[in-house]
Amino acid sequence: MKLKRYLALTRAGIIEALQFRLGSFVIVVGNLLYLIVVYFLWKAIYASAGTKVVNGMTFSDTLIYLVLATALFNFMEMYAVWEIGRAIQSGKIVLDLLKPMKYRTYLFWSYSGSFVTNFFMTFLPTFIVVTAVTHGAVHLGLNLLCFVISVVMAIIINYSIDFIVGTICLYTESIWGINIMKQVIVLLLSGATIPLAFFPDGFRRAVECLPFQSIYNAPLSILLDADPEPKKLVTTLGIQLIWCVVMTVISKLFWKASLRRITVNGG
Amino acid sequence: MPAIIEIKDVTKEFKVLNRREGLKGSIKDLFSRDYKTVRAVDSISMSIEQGEIVGYLGPNGAGKSTTIKMMTGVLEPTEGQILVDGAAPYKNRERNAQKIGVVFGQRSQLWWALPLIESFRLLKDIYRISDEQYDGMMKLYGSLVDIEPLLHKPVRQMSLGQRTLSDILAAFLHDPKIVFLDEPTIGLDVSMKAKIRTLIHALNKEKNTTVILTTHDMGDVDALCRRIVIIDKGKMLYDNDIEHLKGFFGSYRTLKIRIDGDMKEIAESIQKELPDFSVSADDEWISVLVDEEKAKVIDVLGRLQSSCKIKDMQLEEISTEEVIKKIYEEGVS
Repeated sequence: MKLKRYLALTRAGIIEALQFRLGSFVIVVGNLLYLIVVYFLWKAIYASAGTKVVNGMTFSDTLIYLVLATALFNFMEMYAVWEIGRAIQSGKIVLDLLKPMKYRTYLFWSYSGSFVTNFFMTFLPTFIVVTAVTHGAVHLGLNLLCFVISVVMAIIINYSIDFIVGTICLYTESIWGINIMKQVIVLLLSGATIPLAFFPDGFRRAVECLPFQSIYNAPLSILLDADPEPKKLVTTLGIQLIWCVVMTVISKLFWKASLRRITVNGG
Repeated sequence: MPAIIEIKDVTKEFKVLNRREGLKGSIKDLFSRDYKTVRAVDSISMSIEQGEIVGYLGPNGAGKSTTIKMMTGVLEPTEGQILVDGAAPYKNRERNAQKIGVVFGQRSQLWWALPLIESFRLLKDIYRISDEQYDGMMKLYGSLVDIEPLLHKPVRQMSLGQRTLSDILAAFLHDPKIVFLDEPTIGLDVSMKAKIRTLIHALNKEKNTTVILTTHDMGDVDALCRRIVIIDKGKMLYDNDIEHLKGFFGSYRTLKIRIDGDMKEIAESIQKELPDFSVSADDEWISVLVDEEKAKVIDVLGRLQSSCKIKDMQLEEISTEEVIKKIYEEGVS
């Protein structure tokens, strides 16, 4: 029973997350503040543009997109880079490596508990509020199912990127700078801070060739597209699937090669 | 009986960057390819049988942790061969992990925020422990230590002693063939140390688990180990019964005294007065290593007292460090 070992980690993660109740409330408050800033920022942008529709998106389109992106961020962000970096610096990684499980798998499932709690504590409430307040801006239909599939793949891609960056910490032995850099790059290029529609054309096309847009842009565009063309849907999910496989393979190979370096030369 | 751990001529070398000093040097280091090779472990061989408790001793930086990391499969030997239960540990670390348990006195493998029982349940699933075996183990633990109050306490609220105890129980939970204990009694009070020693001893007896124990506390060694292995600077200095070693150094005591004035100068004059014994001084104490077969400590103290005014004194058993120093200087046949 392989799954049982993984679900045991999920279960422990949920219990662990629930121990820190206050932390969740602080996160909710922090997000609220962030969203207020976003609201006024974009209000100003639309006011200065002078038109109702900018780059094919209305003010409320943009706002709904960004609110959901923030909710998604809270739910998917794993801070795996921190975890790996800290484990390397403190030497705790030796203990993790001595578990009868692959480290990459072990870490992922250790985190899975926080996915579950964050989903129920931050994403779901936000989603319900947005749906209720906007009256039908979010279409409730088959796209929800596609959205769930898309999010699962987004989580896997996001984790793989985190794991690759975390592995770099093995070489640099410092975490902070690398982590900040990763976060800025991912959040910008994935469309989590600014919708991709606002990017200049050439830049946007370049970004669409990168894996990052599969993390936030892809699931959100599926969710918000009320009347999706089947062809477009399949392309979006297909590209995500490809990135899923590619990033998983890269992160596994990179980790394997790096781990060899540690076992040969010490950590 | 075949050996559970078989180490043959194992050497481990690390490449270390030669660092230069100062700002200019640090900048140059960024592009430097100037590595030197450090030999952490130098052709060590030993063979350990199932059920033994082996004390693995040596000063800080002697290569103990490196050897243990090689036995656990985290490091790969540069030369030589290690077999743990018939297989090379680094080749399949996950499978090796199933057979071993580890306790590092300084860190915990338990889940910080969770009550101990949750950590145990998690380990049960991770190591695929059957219900029967798990229940049996918990019953055994219950008979050995007062585990009930610990089980429902989050690990982060535990005292260091309770945490160490829990970590040891966690390491034995999946009934591994070998348990590595790295300084398990570090920083604990006397009664907790005794408790932990009793526990390790009982688990070893009950489950016939091989225990590799590294420590700086001779009390641990006395209470648990019949065999000790000493290494220093990566080289093996001693591998034999503890009784054998005691025969050599049992008669040594360290007499520490404090005297007003320049300690170094006084130490030198004492050395002249007592040519048979080695005298050393640090900022606080003058230490005289007395061989009681040659002279009684009380007589030495008397002689010292007649020549200078002693403010404070301590008498210590010979420490591991000193044993090792003596072995290093004189050798053991």
